Amino acid sequence: MQDLGFIVAAYGVILGGMALYAVLLLRRLSAARRASLQVRRDAEAGLPSPPPEAEA
Amino acid sequence: MGTRVLGIVALVAVLAASVNALFLVPADVNQGDAQRIMYVHVPSAWLGYLSFGVTALAGIGYLWKRDLRLDAVAVAGAEIGVMFTAFAIWGGMMWGRPVWGVFWQWEDPRLTTTALLLALYLGYLLFRRLTDDPHRRAARAAVVGIVAAVDIPIVHFSVEWWRGLHQGPTIGSPDKVLHPSAPGLFVLALVSMVVAFTLAWAWLMIRRYQLARIDWQIEEHGRLGRISAARRAVRAAATTPADGAAEGA
Repeated sequence: MQDLGFIVAAYGVILGGMALYAVLLLRRLSAARRASLQVRRDAEAGLPSPPPEAEA
Repeated sequence: MGTRVLGIVALVAVLAASVNALFLVPADVNQGDAQRIMYVHVPSAWLGYLSFGVTALAGIGYLWKRDLRLDAVAVAGAEIGVMFTAFAIWGGMMWGRPVWGVFWQWEDPRLTTTALLLALYLGYLLFRRLTDDPHRRAARAAVVGIVAAVDIPIVHFSVEWWRGLHQGPTIGSPDKVLHPSAPGLFVLALVSMVVAFTLAWAWLMIRRYQLARIDWQIEEHGRLGRISAARRAVRAAATTPADGAAEGA
């Protein structure tokens, strides 16, 4: 195969990038779901909500 | 459940289309194997357009309905569009070096307007961080998203309006859909990759939309919690001097 380095670089970055983004997105979603659950539990228990920087 | 099935179908489709594009479709007579990069470059560019188009339409919808769910769609489109536009630029550069002899040329209208499109939507994502108020943020971002979308047709038609290094459309115009200037096997490989990438895009959009909704709900809970804490503090401050006076008496 000619220009193998360019082909590997193109497919590697694009397919690898999509896979990496998908994995990071799922981890962000999972963390957000946990945080949302915690905030709801705190609200039900009458605890004050954390400041925005603590949520992030 | 449906989203999970979509994710699995998209993964299988992308893998199958990639194996076909890399190993089964013959190399181009003139461009050699470098032409295989087109099978990931073109779908990335298409999904960049689609994502930013969705962001602009969701922005219009938000300004009309003031529904934050539309803002969640807009931010999902912008973030995913930035990723696919960056992929399109990267794929184009990797194809350009062996075929054109250069990675990049600033004089080319398609390349330059695409770089501008990427910069505009990166700016959109940064602009969203300027305010915590969800409705103010959504309204301002909607305007930026709509204005930035003006660049999408400029990018697409730049190869027809101006002369540059980038070639014209292979299957992107109505007459070329019926009579593409490429062999059927190549077109089939490209179309199958476009379909596979679009399935992956749909899955990513759904997941990113869900994340935006949850982020907004956490923000809203936090805001309500801080408001009620502030009210409690005000009430406590209002009662404290009276208590102090009673104690003094």
